[in-house]
Amino acid sequence: MTATPSGPPLPLWQSFAADASFSDPGDCEQKATRFEKRIERRNWLEHAAGLSVIAFFGIGSVIAFVLGEWLIGATFVMIVLGTLITMRNLQRRATNLARRPEDPCRVHLRRQYQRQYDALRSVPRWYVGPIVPGMVLFYLAVTDRVADEIGWERALEGAIGPAAVTVGILAFVLLANWYAARWLKREIDALDALA
Amino acid sequence: MTERTDQFYRQAGEQFAPAIARLSQAVERNADRARDLEQDIHCALWESLSRFEGDCSLKTWVYRVAHNVAADHVARSMRGPRRIPLEEIDSLPTTADPERDAAEALVLAQVRELVRRLPAIDAQVIVLWLEGESAAEIAEITGLSPGAVNVRVHRIKALLANHFDNPETSGERS
Repeated sequence: MTATPSGPPLPLWQSFAADASFSDPGDCEQKATRFEKRIERRNWLEHAAGLSVIAFFGIGSVIAFVLGEWLIGATFVMIVLGTLITMRNLQRRATNLARRPEDPCRVHLRRQYQRQYDALRSVPRWYVGPIVPGMVLFYLAVTDRVADEIGWERALEGAIGPAAVTVGILAFVLLANWYAARWLKREIDALDALA
Repeated sequence: MTERTDQFYRQAGEQFAPAIARLSQAVERNADRARDLEQDIHCALWESLSRFEGDCSLKTWVYRVAHNVAADHVARSMRGPRRIPLEEIDSLPTTADPERDAAEALVLAQVRELVRRLPAIDAQVIVLWLEGESAAEIAEITGLSPGAVNVRVHRIKALLANHFDNPETSGERS
């Protein structure tokens, strides 16, 4: 190491890329346009996925009502409503980004962590919550329908397995989010201690 | 883009383009992605300089934008070795590149490897220190307390000194 008392600590570090130059602003305009198109495409895909769920259950509810299966039709309507609420929440969160990269690095990093922390902590409310009523009602409706044929005892026995799998998946999603949120909270606290 | 912003952008380019290239290469191992990151930083600066009112120096502004964009880039592509805080690292990590045999080139490669393995805030302090910034300037850019900056600078100095004093024992032990 050939550092001098007043010079850079590792002179070789500064000898690299000495001839680098900034990009032309025109390249940045093109890049911004490409980025906007990519975001548009991503938003379109997210909406297409949500709309296909809505179309599937929407048509399903119409068929159920026509066949006189009112309870099952109602659960499909609730799933459609839950999907609409989740899509709206996704859109609100995606457009809620303030870009200020000129803030001090600690402030910037803390804001990123805090945003992710808030999103993860509230997953039960904004992502999972809206679809739960429809799913619960769906299980109740199907079990009720099956019970008409084979009796409540056997209908409940048949429903326990699939319901347990559904609850397990939801619990896993919630637990994974909670664990990630806890890690982020520790990172936020560590950053606060450095101020 | 106004003429004033254009002037700041050109001024920033003349003064800090090499430092931004070095930062990009330090945090991103892949050459193509490092070049993309470098351009991302240029574009973030180009966009942000329209808000520059002189509340801080141009250097502080440029380094804040550059390091924040780089940290976002690392967060998006969070793969590779687990991040280890600077205080838990005993020596410079190995680079898995045995062909680098010149002593300073090797330590440079190892420092870059170290930067890639550190949490964002530690890496920011190290890179700014390598650029020759003072502890006070690093504190202003990063928003860390001067004490927190000094602890990290002291730690990297010790790591480098240990490496040059005992090159045969260098290598990752954390």
